[in-house]
Amino acid sequence: MKKRILALGLAVISMTVLVACGNESNGFDDSRRIAVFTREDGSGTRDAFVGITGVGDDMYIEAIVEDSTAGIRSNVVSNLYAIGYISVGSLNDEVKALSINGVLPSDDTIRNGSYVLQRPLLICVNDEKAADELVQDFIAFMLSAEGQEISATNWTMVDANAPAYERSAMSGTIRIGGSTSVEPLMQRMREAYIALNPGVTVEISGGGSGTGISEATSGVIDIGMSSRELRENEKEALTDIDIALDGVSLIVNPENPVSNMTLEQVRAIYVGETTQWSEL
Amino acid sequence: MLKLTEKFMRIIFLIAAMASVLAVIFICVFLFSQGLPTIFRIGVFEFLLGDRWAPTAAEPLFGILPMILGSLYVTAGAILLGVPIGIFTAVFMARMCPPWLYRLIKPAFNLMAGIPSVVYGFFGLMVIVPLIFDWYGSRFDMMSGNTMLAASVLLGIMILPTVINIAETNIRAVPQELYEGAVALGASHERAVFKVILPAAKSGVMAAVVLGVGRAIGETMAVRMVAGNQVAMRMPHEFLYGVRTLTTNIIIEMGYVEHGSIHYGALIATGVVLFVFILIINLLFTAINHDKKEKSKRQKQNHGETSV
Repeated sequence: MKKRILALGLAVISMTVLVACGNESNGFDDSRRIAVFTREDGSGTRDAFVGITGVGDDMYIEAIVEDSTAGIRSNVVSNLYAIGYISVGSLNDEVKALSINGVLPSDDTIRNGSYVLQRPLLICVNDEKAADELVQDFIAFMLSAEGQEISATNWTMVDANAPAYERSAMSGTIRIGGSTSVEPLMQRMREAYIALNPGVTVEISGGGSGTGISEATSGVIDIGMSSRELRENEKEALTDIDIALDGVSLIVNPENPVSNMTLEQVRAIYVGETTQWSEL
Repeated sequence: MLKLTEKFMRIIFLIAAMASVLAVIFICVFLFSQGLPTIFRIGVFEFLLGDRWAPTAAEPLFGILPMILGSLYVTAGAILLGVPIGIFTAVFMARMCPPWLYRLIKPAFNLMAGIPSVVYGFFGLMVIVPLIFDWYGSRFDMMSGNTMLAASVLLGIMILPTVINIAETNIRAVPQELYEGAVALGASHERAVFKVILPAAKSGVMAAVVLGVGRAIGETMAVRMVAGNQVAMRMPHEFLYGVRTLTTNIIIEMGYVEHGSIHYGALIATGVVLFVFILIINLLFTAINHDKKEKSKRQKQNHGETSV
């Protein structure tokens, strides 16, 4: 009895090992299933993505949900058959950005609108904070030539002819929170601003667009960051200002031979109509 | 003077004890006051038995049945994998382990219990997920290794320290006379351990399993990283597909949710359901422990009578 169990166990183990060996293959096999990765419900990147592509509320139910840009990216790096979408500012060499309708995301194509997958990165302040001198100065800096130059590093500037920033030696503390998509941009803004105004402390926290908007409304923070347009009811209490434009880039593994998709193909993948790479 | 300090310290201890009780009460009040109204607003049946979760859709749907099932499947998988290994390890450690080896593996399990779950999650993401995808990906037309199976395997590992520690303590607590009696009647060491000691420690081992269930069902971070997190209705045989559990639903969507919205309430309500699950598990644990005490009391009485 004991021996029989042992033999059975060994058989199972050796079978698993054999399966493992038999399956090793290199290169891209386009009969494989498209591994669709998406962001979670409520994410600004997802809002922008489903809005522009026309996926809307019909997101493919089998799409794997990751709740961060890094999560999407690391899955695309490790999974040959994966597709995901992240902000253009978060692209790196480990993943390949697809062109949409033949247009690759770049500053020019985003600002002139020929790259269609894009959204504004914005800040919002309530009326009380909008009257604050320090907050006004920081916003003026972000919209100045110096600030827009920072927007242009990884994102796209909203205003190519912005006026220069006039130093006014401010001091105090600004608390900023919200969208994690806007956070990297805001951190660079902070560095440059503090270099000009050493007396100012800028505290930045994440939490997502929703958190940023609600905390800016209640005044818990001075400036909220959002990567989606404000809703009508949110605009009642808040003033919103675009500080940069951000493309949403579709990314695949660098070994994936596909390099261009139409917006319709993207939609078909994300609603689950196209499930294999060979169907493209 | 001494009495005064004693009294003072007694008050300090009382406050300390009250603090934890108060914390539990506050959590209950918060959860239920925020969660229950939302549940009733959505509708109890729509919420608990609805199979679609689309909180930001034009016509939002808040059904958490897929996640309730997800939590149950993943936990069941973890128990299936973790409990046999855990119990055998506990038996080995309590009754068969040479002392020098015990000194090595006991601290190892203690260390295991202290590893943060995000580290387990990272291990799962880097090792278990790619392994599953490499082995079964093309055969079963899978999207990725982020599956129920991955979550179960990872949780099976994570519950080991809990199961082993409690099971071992309880196996050790079985009176030595039982073992000696069995051996005296001609049982081999193994037979005495498995046929006499282990059955005698049954309720303690059950308690270990129940606590393991509690650990598995409440785990969030590690599961989030390997489970795929799709909100889809699954059957138990679909273990090569991704699931979302109750815990991961909360953590994934909490970041971007609009405060005060019905979506926000639904996430807290998910917490209520989870809380009820944990409550049931704790009641089970208490019941088992109570049963154990009764039994041992009876055993002692019987013992006393026979010796007289």
